[in-house]
Amino acid sequence: MLFWILVATLTAAVAAVLLLPLLRAPAGGVAPQSHDAEVYRDQLDELKRDETNGVISGADAALARAEVARRLLAATDAIKAAGPVAPASRSNRLAQLAIILVLPAIGLGLYLRTGHPDVPDAPLAARLANPGDDMNILIARAERHLVDNPQDGAGWDVLAPIYYRGGRLEEAAAAYENAARLLGATPARLGGYAESLIALSGGIVTNEAQAALRKSLTIEPDDPRASFYLALAMKQEGKTPEALAAFGEIVRTSPAGAPWLPLVNEHIASLGGKTAQGAGQALPGHPSGEDIAAASEMSAGDRTAMIEGMVGSLAEKLKQDPKNFEGWMRIIRSYAVLGRTDMATAAVKQSLAAFPAGGKEGQQLLALAGELGLEADGDVK
Amino acid sequence: MIVELGHYALVLALATSLLQAALPLAGALRGDRALMEIGTIAAKATFLLVALSFCALTYAHVTSDFSVQNVWENSHSQIPLIYKYSGVWGNHEGSMLLWVLILTFFSALVALFGNNLPETLKANVLSIQAMITAAFALFILMTSNPFNRLLNAPGEGKDLNPVLQDIGLAIHPPLLYLGYVGFSVCFSFAIAALIEGRIDAAWARWVRPWALAAWTCLTAGIAMGSYWAYYELGWGGWWFWDPVENASFIPWLAGTALLHSALVMEKREALKIWTVLLAIMTFSMSLLGTFLVRSGVLTSVHAFATDPTRGVFILIILILFIGGALSLFALRAARLKAGGLFAPISREGALVLNNLILTTAAATVLTGTLYPLALEALTGAKISVGAPFFNMTFGLLMLPLLLAVPFGPLLAWKRGDLPGAAQRLFAAVAFGLVVGCVVYYAQNGGPILAALGIALGAYMILGSMMELFLRSGLGKVAAGVAWRRLSGLPRSVFGTALAHIGLGVTLIGIVAVTAFETEHIIEMKPGMTAEAGGYSLRFEGLRKGNGANYSEEVGHFIVSGDGVAMGDITSSKRIYTARRMPTTEAGIRTFGLSQLYVSLGDDMADGGIVVRVWWKPMILCIWGGALFMMAGGLVSLSDRRLRIGAPTRSKKPKPVLEPAQ
Repeated sequence: MLFWILVATLTAAVAAVLLLPLLRAPAGGVAPQSHDAEVYRDQLDELKRDETNGVISGADAALARAEVARRLLAATDAIKAAGPVAPASRSNRLAQLAIILVLPAIGLGLYLRTGHPDVPDAPLAARLANPGDDMNILIARAERHLVDNPQDGAGWDVLAPIYYRGGRLEEAAAAYENAARLLGATPARLGGYAESLIALSGGIVTNEAQAALRKSLTIEPDDPRASFYLALAMKQEGKTPEALAAFGEIVRTSPAGAPWLPLVNEHIASLGGKTAQGAGQALPGHPSGEDIAAASEMSAGDRTAMIEGMVGSLAEKLKQDPKNFEGWMRIIRSYAVLGRTDMATAAVKQSLAAFPAGGKEGQQLLALAGELGLEADGDVK
Repeated sequence: MIVELGHYALVLALATSLLQAALPLAGALRGDRALMEIGTIAAKATFLLVALSFCALTYAHVTSDFSVQNVWENSHSQIPLIYKYSGVWGNHEGSMLLWVLILTFFSALVALFGNNLPETLKANVLSIQAMITAAFALFILMTSNPFNRLLNAPGEGKDLNPVLQDIGLAIHPPLLYLGYVGFSVCFSFAIAALIEGRIDAAWARWVRPWALAAWTCLTAGIAMGSYWAYYELGWGGWWFWDPVENASFIPWLAGTALLHSALVMEKREALKIWTVLLAIMTFSMSLLGTFLVRSGVLTSVHAFATDPTRGVFILIILILFIGGALSLFALRAARLKAGGLFAPISREGALVLNNLILTTAAATVLTGTLYPLALEALTGAKISVGAPFFNMTFGLLMLPLLLAVPFGPLLAWKRGDLPGAAQRLFAAVAFGLVVGCVVYYAQNGGPILAALGIALGAYMILGSMMELFLRSGLGKVAAGVAWRRLSGLPRSVFGTALAHIGLGVTLIGIVAVTAFETEHIIEMKPGMTAEAGGYSLRFEGLRKGNGANYSEEVGHFIVSGDGVAMGDITSSKRIYTARRMPTTEAGIRTFGLSQLYVSLGDDMADGGIVVRVWWKPMILCIWGGALFMMAGGLVSLSDRRLRIGAPTRSKKPKPVLEPAQ
């Protein structure tokens, strides 16, 4: 409201100022030649000063004076010829109307098209002091925290998938690499690192990515993601029989109905092999190739919306379907590193309601809470 | 709210300038003083509105308001405060807003101090200024709005381009724009004169200081940009004939011609049509420069074709203003009365020669700049027109001009005495030749062209001082009298001398650096030494450091001459974290007018680093000369006397006179 009052005041003030000359009684006009005559008279005075100061010699001054005098005469003749200038006493209604109409019409018309009157200022200091639900600021805070404490592996762990989903692939790769270096290599970290590199190189499984994936397989030989990308690497290198064998091995070792089977079968089919049956859409917990391509083409604003959407929609999903173990693990981690300890402990509690502490998953949730410095009963260590 | 208010203020400024464009012009045609008066008030109002808008954008930058797209794209919360300010114009949108701010500032100055102008002239000038303002305000709002918002504000900015995070680039663009836009006032005066079909006596009195001020700022801006490129880009060069540089150099050449023409007009009422045409051309070249730099056409014609909104918009502005102005010139120039008459050999004649050479030079640079673009657009072939072309054409054009420079001030107005002037310059010629020979022998078989170049520079310096000697009568009269005469000389005489001396100084710098600089590219390990310019440079080692928003590798060197330590040099390579972009910070140490320049290259596997060491003899003369030129401009600007050129009495009964144009 205040904004519109100021807009109206500004517009009215400018209009009033512009109308002022039209409302004043016009004085009589002067012929333009009279200005010329004035200049020439000043020039004659100047010549006299120069001559007395010795800047120019007497002879030169006389010549110059003659020339200026000739111009002065011509100008005075012109003034006489022009005669007295009558003051204009025409009505200025049209001009007044123009001023009153043009300012608000163009001002508002254009501003409403280009402006965002409802978007408030957002100085960074105020946002940092009071982040609320501002996901971008929470990420920024986590980043700042990591600049000061680059050895905080858990922080890199949380940021890495956020970067990856947001299409900030180089940062995702670096974050996965840092997390693996500080907290030890796990299939999740190595796989995430490899996937970031693969997305960075436009889907090509590079040597660097292959090395990480092979290392991942030495830790966890049944990691379908690592096996899949290594098979893909063989396909890309043109080693069709090897690739077919590798894809076939994945199908053989995967449980029936595993969500990645259709993708694997697609590859087998494209290599001319026989496919097995399966259902599902993509590799577990990771965006498909199209998603990545879409993310890297997104504008930055959309990307940040994607990051924010991720945690928000995950929380929403968990509310509807609490039996999502991986989802709980991810959201607890996210909350903890973003500094929202209260939310993290709440999430631990809720997850334990779905996965009792006695079970295998429950134990893992408790272990995570301990690792993050949270207590299952909600207190921070 | 502040940001949105700034946005609205800009829109309102557009509306106000539209009124300012239409009403005073109508008033001048109808002889309606009230309507003409609106121009004065509207100019001030527009300026205040644009200033409000600019302040709002600055506020957004300083408070790191990343909900503003422009701030998000060009700022970072961690950069030093000064770059938060300079980041306002360190990007396309903000710099265009600065352009308009300066434009309206100049309009407001004309409105404030133009009371002694004939009313119709003032109304027309302000109206033309407003048309330019409106065109650019619309351009900003339609294609480059700095007030675009992000509904989901990011938490951190993408950082200001690291090469722009430098104090030099904080002041370079405003200076350049003061120059570019300053010429808009001359342009508006020229168009106003063409609309009225007459040139008032007050016209030249107004155009000269504007041309002078704009020229001084442009000189400063170009020199600043050149020095910045020298120390920041790490290539050791100071001028690359790069299209962006040329875009500022072409208006400078045209502006220099305009400046001299306006001078003649003020003093002698001659060269009227020249002045009007040059005023149009100079601002047109400024607009063209803006188009080249701002449209993206320079990166690639094809890049321009894929997103032509901005470029096409500026192109339309260009066509409207340049085309309109030249058409008006074609229609009305004949109605302008030719001014005073003069003989071919006279100060006026010398200035016509100056104008001819400078405009040809401007056209040459323009050709060299636009030819690759035209070729790429027509055939798709990518070529670059580099230093050899410009050095051959531009250098050859400059030679006669530089030789003629000292003659100009020594020739009398209206009809001059060439042998007399040559006689008076004899001392300067002799001095120049002696200096040239000394340099030749000192360098022992050094390039003869370099010796001649330095001789030319020395001749120009002494020749430019000659007028001061002659007019004060130094050596002929008592020292006291000479001093009194010297101090009684109009300041513009000193201005002329200073500016011309500056040209000579710059020339000497250019020749010396081109001919005598040495370059070594060596791989150094700590403890190794390199020799350059008679000094030895010992590499002490590298250390790593962190700045506010970058990490760097700093190489430390100790300079010694004849075994005596003379101080140290640090040269560094920086990586700016936000953009992951490397920059070099050259290490420079000044000895007199010469500099030792050290730039770090790649790290080697065995712990060494590639170091480039240049010895740049007399390099400071290049920018020192520009300082002289600027000082000349300022001194001349401070001369607010009415200026009348005194003609000399004709010796022959009936000299052959030529019309002024």
